Formats: sequence, C-alpha cells, structure tokens
Amino acid sequence: MSASSETGASPGGPSETPAIPIHLRPARAADVPALVPLLLRLKRLNEEFDPLLKVREDAESQAKSVLAAQLDDPKSVVLAAEGVGADKDKVVGFVRAVVRERPFYTPEYEGVITDIYLLPLYRRHGVGEYLLKEASNALKAKGAGVVVAEFPAQNEIAIRFYAKRGFRPIQLLHARPL
Amino acid sequence: MAESTAAPVDDGRPARRGARARRSAGTRGEGQTKALGRRAVALSGFYQGKVETVPKVPVRSLRDFALWYTPGVAEVSRRIQADPELAFDLTGRWNTIAIVTDGSRVLGLGDIGPQAALPVMEGKALLFKWLGGVDAVPLPVSAKTPDEFVRVVESLAPAFGGINLEDIASPKCFGILETLQQRLTIPVWHDDQLGTAAATIAGLLNALTLTHRSVATTRTVLLGAGAANLVTARLLLALGHDPTRLTLVDQHGILDAERDDVDELMLRNPWKYRLALRTNGGGRQGDLAAALVGADVLLAASTPNPNTVRPEHIRAMARDPIVFALANPVPEIWPEVAREAGAAIVATGRSDFPNQVNNSLIFPAVFRGVLDARARAIPDEIVIAAAKELARHAADKGLSPAHILPTMEEVEVFPHLAAAVGDAAVALGIAGRRRTHDEFLERARAIMGRSARLVRALARARLTPAMPSVKSLEGRNEP
Repeated sequence: MSASSETGASPGGPSETPAIPIHLRPARAADVPALVPLLLRLKRLNEEFDPLLKVREDAESQAKSVLAAQLDDPKSVVLAAEGVGADKDKVVGFVRAVVRERPFYTPEYEGVITDIYLLPLYRRHGVGEYLLKEASNALKAKGAGVVVAEFPAQNEIAIRFYAKRGFRPIQLLHARPL
Repeated sequence: MAESTAAPVDDGRPARRGARARRSAGTRGEGQTKALGRRAVALSGFYQGKVETVPKVPVRSLRDFALWYTPGVAEVSRRIQADPELAFDLTGRWNTIAIVTDGSRVLGLGDIGPQAALPVMEGKALLFKWLGGVDAVPLPVSAKTPDEFVRVVESLAPAFGGINLEDIASPKCFGILETLQQRLTIPVWHDDQLGTAAATIAGLLNALTLTHRSVATTRTVLLGAGAANLVTARLLLALGHDPTRLTLVDQHGILDAERDDVDELMLRNPWKYRLALRTNGGGRQGDLAAALVGADVLLAASTPNPNTVRPEHIRAMARDPIVFALANPVPEIWPEVAREAGAAIVATGRSDFPNQVNNSLIFPAVFRGVLDARARAIPDEIVIAAAKELARHAADKGLSPAHILPTMEEVEVFPHLAAAVGDAAVALGIAGRRRTHDEFLERARAIMGRSARLVRALARARLTPAMPSVKSLEGRNEP
C-alpha cells in the first residue's frame, strides 16, 4: 500500500493522492515503540474535549500492550504511515480499527476506526483522507459492511472531517460520572 | 506638543528615571513604581477621572439648542438615515473611537475585570487625545465569552469611527480581533498585538541596517509567544523573513511542529499552531539557549525578570547580535549586561534606556491616519507602513546603536506617521477619503496641534487645576 498508487475516488470528490507522500503499510511489532507516543498524543488530544476522557497514569504501558495485542488480532487493522525523504522509516501517523459484530443489525459487521493520528506537518494534505480510505478497504476485506468512526463528541474537527466524507451520527454515547 | 513624554500610562512602564538608578534598577525600580502608584492614587482622587466631554460648538444661549438639538437636529438625523456615510461629516464620529476591554489581561495585573480596568482605559484615552488628537471613549465591558464581547463591540460600532481593543487576554484576543475586523467596516486595532509589533518591527529594521543584515537572511528567535510576538512573527514573514530561520520559544521551550502540546495548540491557539508548523526549520528542540545558538536577533517579549536571558545566551549568538528585551517594567536582561556579553544593539520597553520600543510611538498616529483616510480597515500592510515610516524617521536623524527609534520627544514624527498610514489606506483602496500626502500631513498636524493647545489652554484658564503635591493631598484625609 503506497500513497502514490491509485486506489480509487473518495466519496463525492476526485481521486486523492496525498501532496506529501507517505508510505502506508500494516504495522509490525517493531513499530510499537514509535506508535505508542502517537497513540498517546491522540488520547491527550481527546482529553482536551472532555474530563471523562482523562488519560490514565498508566496509559503508556496500556498503549504498549493494547497495540501489541491488536497486531496479533485478525479482527484488527493497524496501519502505520511512514514518511518519505528525510522522514523515511519514521512513523508519522497511524490508523487503528477493529471489526465488531452487530448481533441485531445488518450489516452484521462494522469496522470501527478508533484512532487516526498524523503528525501536524502531515495534516491538511489529503493524508488523513488516504488513511481513512485504506483503513476502510482493509476493514471491508475483513467482512465489515459499514465503517464507523469513534471520537469525542466535542471534536468539531473530526465531526467536519467525517461529515465531508459521507459519515453521519447513527448512535450517540451519553455519559455521566458515577 | 508632547512636552511631558514620561512613561506612557498604558503599559505600566515606570516614569523616566535618571541614569543613576540603572545600576541597581531591580530593587530601585520597585520602590519607584510603588511611589508612582501612591501618587497616581492620590491624584486620581483629586481629579476624579482623566478625560471628560467638552462641547465643540458655541453655546450663546439656550436658543442655540434649537440647532444643536431639537428641532433642528432632526433634519441632520434624516440626512444620515438617507446616507449613513454622512454620519462621518455631520457628527463627531469621524474622530471618535472606543477603547474597549474586558479587563482580562490588564498591564501586568492579569484578569482584574472591566471595572478595575477603567483607570487604564482613561489613561489610554488621554494619550489618544494628547498625541493623536483622537476622541477616545474608555469602554470597559462585562462580556464573559469572546462571542459576547464581539456582539457588544458590534452593537457599539454605529457611534464610532474606529475601535481600539485593549488589554484582552491572549489567545482570545486574536479571534476577537479577526472576527471584528471581518464584520465591521470601521478600523479595528488591538494595541497589545499590533502597536507593540509595529514598534518592534520599526526598531528591528534599523538594527538590521546598522549591522548590515537583511530580513530575508536573518535568523531570528522570538522569546514569548503572546499577543505581541505572534504578530511580530506574522509581520516578519510578511516582510520576507524566511520562516525556517524563525524560531519561537515560550515557557515550554522551542515551539516546534512535533512538540507534545501542539495538538492542544491546534484547538486552543490556532495562531500559535500555524506558526509552530511553519517556523523552526531544521527542527531544533530544547530551550532558549538551544534556540539562540548562531541567531542574529533575539526579540524577547516574555516575563519581567532580568535573568530570563543570560549573558552566555548572548555569547552563543552570531556576531554583533541584536537583542530586544521588551518585558516591562523589568527587561529579560539588563541592557549593559547584554552589551557586555556582545550585543551590538539593545532595545527595551523602558524610557530610561536608549531605544525604547514603545507602542505609544505607533497607535496615536495610526488612528490619526486611518480616521483621516476614513479607512475601512487596518490590514497588516498599514501596520507595516507605519513601522517603516517610524524606522525612516530614526534613520533620517542618523542611526547608531543607541538610536534605532525616534523617542517620544520627537513629536514631529507623529503627523508624518499619520500621513504614511493615510497614504497606505489610499494605495490599498480602502480609504473613504482619498487625500494627498500633504493633505494628510497638514490635517494631522492641525488636529494634533489643536489637541495639545486645548490641553494647555484648559490649564492656563485653571479649568484643569494645577497638579497638587501628593503631600497636600494625603493630608486632606480623603479616600
């Protein structure tokens, strides 16, 4: 999977090739040390939106074990985005997703994107869209009939990002502390 | 005009002090500031306000009110209703601005609220009148959110020819200014951003000339990423500074696209976030010391502490470095310490050292200029035009390491600055009144001159009581 290979049109728009090229590939165990700080950055960003998303003290070791487990899980998709040029071999972003069964609805399986993160310099160049598309394809290959994005309710940037790409809210998660 | 050019009231600088005070300026400065504070309280109690409304028309008898008020005034209103632009000809709107604050970041006092901000806004209004001939109305407002603040200012706009935002906390000041600039058709200015940045740029341009540098090839470090420095960075980029040779440093160190807090900045301070992505080419990381290695210029606008910048930091800079230490009332490094460490040119925010970077050099003339041009906005081009004109006047008098900016005594600069601003508005096509350079200049001289004469005439006529001694006031046993 490479950004320069043509992989089809995004919904409602022309086909996208990221202006800053990246190389996207399935993450490997050796990527975990590079993925952990990116995952933590995303969770700390989520923390900004809601106190109920406060990052745990042990988040770092959690990130390590969760990622390691997911890499071996056939229901999971973890893609690592590598930079090119000076950033070659550097992981500059990732997407993490999992296929879940929907026992009462059709389609029977949903692919849930739990994380998409890119380092700031790689944003706004169509790379995020490319990550979304590749993750969707991988989830579809694993049997998902619908792709779902999970993010903080107050994250307006994510709301706009997904809305532009044909996503709409189907279920809400309302919370109160106990 | 301005005989007394001691410390501008607007930013807490201590008054002019003798050279003797410099050596131990730290402790002495505190004592001096305290003494000034006591006098200010006593005199505020005596005068009970610094500006008042004074008639501009003759009143021979009550009968004149048939003209100034009803019934005659109704026709004036009808004319304005038919042609709103006439408000600028038939009322004082052409020369009246509002000084609006929410009191969220007043001087070095922090969030003291609108009521306590009033004396500061009064002082600013006095400066506007005295230096720029501008009728400025102090308007602290209770507005909790930026949206609420914007709505309040929008609804005030019909009464004013311009808006001066004052002492609003960063970063909300950026969004407020941007939104108001988009929505209003009168010029909106935030002095803590634009005034300070323009004065900084003016001094810097001359300092670069003196040390045979150019903006395009200079490596610059900005210490402090608040209202002033974020705009200084923006203006530098507009002037052709290479973004990769620009490095911002704040309390967390070098601002970089991959710094840990960069996502938080994206949400809370997109202005700083954008600079984080563009600047610091080569991805330097670390603290101020790391940023300054090999740098040509340091522009510090951070916290008042003379040990913020160390001599070894200066020694690590390029040859003949330029150091602006602009924190008030105490600079980030004392000028003599910076010079001993090799700084070729040093500027501070204080009037008792050479090269005072003072926003009072900028804002009165900028408003004189935009009001006389009836400019619909104050884009960065105007800010830069003002900075360049200020720099040119210092250069005309001869540049030296101790003279890169005009002093507040050089009052002849103000009308020229106003004319340059007027010219820029005309050239940009945003002037409602297209005047020639000489017309702008003469008009500014006349209005500014009248204002100074007015203040003196009021004093001569004893309508403004002579300034009493503080001792006599404190003996009076009043609050």
